[in-house]
Amino acid sequence: MNPTRDTHATLVDLLDRVLDKGLVLDADLIIHVAGIPLLGVKLRAALAGMETMLKYGIWQDWDEAQRATATKEYRQKKAAALKGEVTSLCR
Amino acid sequence: MENRGRYIYGVAARARTASLGPIGIEGKEVYTIPHGGLCAIVHSCPSEPYQSGDEETVKKWVRTHQVVLDEAQRELGTVIPMGFDTILHSSDDAVSPDQVVRGWLKEDYKRLQDIVEKIKGRDEYGVQIFYAPRLLAKQISDESQEIRKLREEMASKSPGTAYLYKQKVERAVKAEIERLAGEWFRDFYRRIKGHCDDIVIEKTKKADRNRVMLLSLSCLVAREKVNNLGEELEKINNTEGFSVHFSGPWPPYSFVAKLVAPAKEEVK
Repeated sequence: MNPTRDTHATLVDLLDRVLDKGLVLDADLIIHVAGIPLLGVKLRAALAGMETMLKYGIWQDWDEAQRATATKEYRQKKAAALKGEVTSLCR
Repeated sequence: MENRGRYIYGVAARARTASLGPIGIEGKEVYTIPHGGLCAIVHSCPSEPYQSGDEETVKKWVRTHQVVLDEAQRELGTVIPMGFDTILHSSDDAVSPDQVVRGWLKEDYKRLQDIVEKIKGRDEYGVQIFYAPRLLAKQISDESQEIRKLREEMASKSPGTAYLYKQKVERAVKAEIERLAGEWFRDFYRRIKGHCDDIVIEKTKKADRNRVMLLSLSCLVAREKVNNLGEELEKINNTEGFSVHFSGPWPPYSFVAKLVAPAKEEVK
């Protein structure tokens, strides 16, 4: 059988990859959030949880606020995962 | 004011200064920033991530991200794909954002070269295998001695008792399917793995009412082996009760982050 990349049938495959995978920059600066972008899950949530790589400086306010949120959400997810409610954390 | 950010689509294993045209997110001009034997594929943007509450907008961005990577691969060969919304920026007016990108390529050169070696001549494919419990139920109840026996007993019972037996049979079939699912998984995984250079087991998702996702894989496959994988999947797809979803070729999204091991360990 031949692989397909028909945009309709494989949109989920694409979103899973582009939003959740791909190379990440400097590991120390990754904002880890358990945003698992699936169709059907509100993409807003997915986007809020996306890793945005800001390297080489500024943007402190935004960055710190995001990190604080990210850390908090991550801990909540982790707690949920430990209880078996969520089976996957970010990456 | 000049844009201080550079949205990065990926890194190509080619030293070339090129313009790919206005094919970027929201029509932005995409160009390359070379360093050594590599070049970053970027567009110029403000120092803030792309965010939107509108699904369609996001889907469009994501598709564009992919289109740019496709085009980059055609023009430049092997490309390491970045995740969506990867933006480098310069906070220092004396340093241009392009310089910042070059600085990153220089700093991460070895790691990027290692990734290039790993993915060169290979593409990623998504493979999902589903089974249809209802289609398999008959076959299973014919093959299982325990279930056959229950059914034989059921035939001689009164309607009330037969009803209870029916439920018993259904439970037994379900349990048997669950047991077999483990065997199917191992069998299919082994057969698929033989055609892949690397493989990632993904989380399975809820399918629809008539089928269950048994396994979901991301496969890194050498170009000359794709047909073999396709043939193997065809066999599985032709097996009664099973179906295969085979997507790709994708840029090797699932195989470029692995080398960032330290951070992942910390998370887990």
